[in-house]
Amino acid sequence: MSDAAFEAFVRRYQDLVYGTAVRLLGNPVDAEDVAQTVFLRAFQRFAQVGTSPAAPGWLKTVTRNECLNHLSRYRNRWQLFGDAPETALASADSPATQLEIDDRRRELAAALARLPDHQRVPLVLFHFDEMGYQEIAATLGVSLAKVKTDIFRAREALRRYLSEADAAH
Amino acid sequence: MRRIDLESAVHEELRALPLPAAPPTLLPRVLAAVEAWARRPWYSRTWFTWPGVWQAVSIAAVAVAAAAAVVGTPWVLQSIEETTAVTAARILWRTLAAPLVPYLFAVVMLMCLACAAVGTALNRLAFGRT
Repeated sequence: MSDAAFEAFVRRYQDLVYGTAVRLLGNPVDAEDVAQTVFLRAFQRFAQVGTSPAAPGWLKTVTRNECLNHLSRYRNRWQLFGDAPETALASADSPATQLEIDDRRRELAAALARLPDHQRVPLVLFHFDEMGYQEIAATLGVSLAKVKTDIFRAREALRRYLSEADAAH
Repeated sequence: MRRIDLESAVHEELRALPLPAAPPTLLPRVLAAVEAWARRPWYSRTWFTWPGVWQAVSIAAVAVAAAAAVVGTPWVLQSIEETTAVTAARILWRTLAAPLVPYLFAVVMLMCLACAAVGTALNRLAFGRT
């Protein structure tokens, strides 16, 4: 295996891995750590993964699993999958913050990142990874009802945020 | 807004988001981590990444150890049986410990049941699992 081939592999897929991680974790620093771990695992299996057409799918699955492990390892599970207080979007209500942000997509991405973990993770799995409610419930080890409730609340929070952003512009 | 409208509206908005780009620091970080990993001696890495020869040697060593344990255990047990210390321990067990075994077993079972009940309640109430 050549170093150049692995470097090209990282260049090709770094946005996919990092983007997936940052959406799930809502934190660029943690996402970079996870991306590094994922690429290290890819390096250890580079003979199989390097030229495989299944590489993007493999990377996405490993990234998702690493993110879920990271969340359950480093954060309090009571906050992750419990009913944490929903203060996450409160900071977006500040007029100063809204004036500083002028790009609607950036605003939405920021709002997504600010969602509590237990809402953002199932929402991202549903809308970006196209997983079903049942599959998400099994992946996160929570009830189907909780997944539906958390996703609904997350959508409501995003809708509120977007309405406020639209009104401000 | 109806639930289904909200779902499609949010889906549309989210799917329109561009994939966040990796920071320029990621590539050098990954390459440095890979280089550090490659510098580690093979025996300090995970078994699956060991050289094939050493994987085979380790499997053979484990097989030999397991065979030795199977063959040697009866011989060791027989040697222990013949000592007076074992006879004394057996008498002590019969007179002091054996009568308490049923009660101890009942207490352990009750504790297991209590733990299972608390665990189930915690799972349902705190984590929302079924």
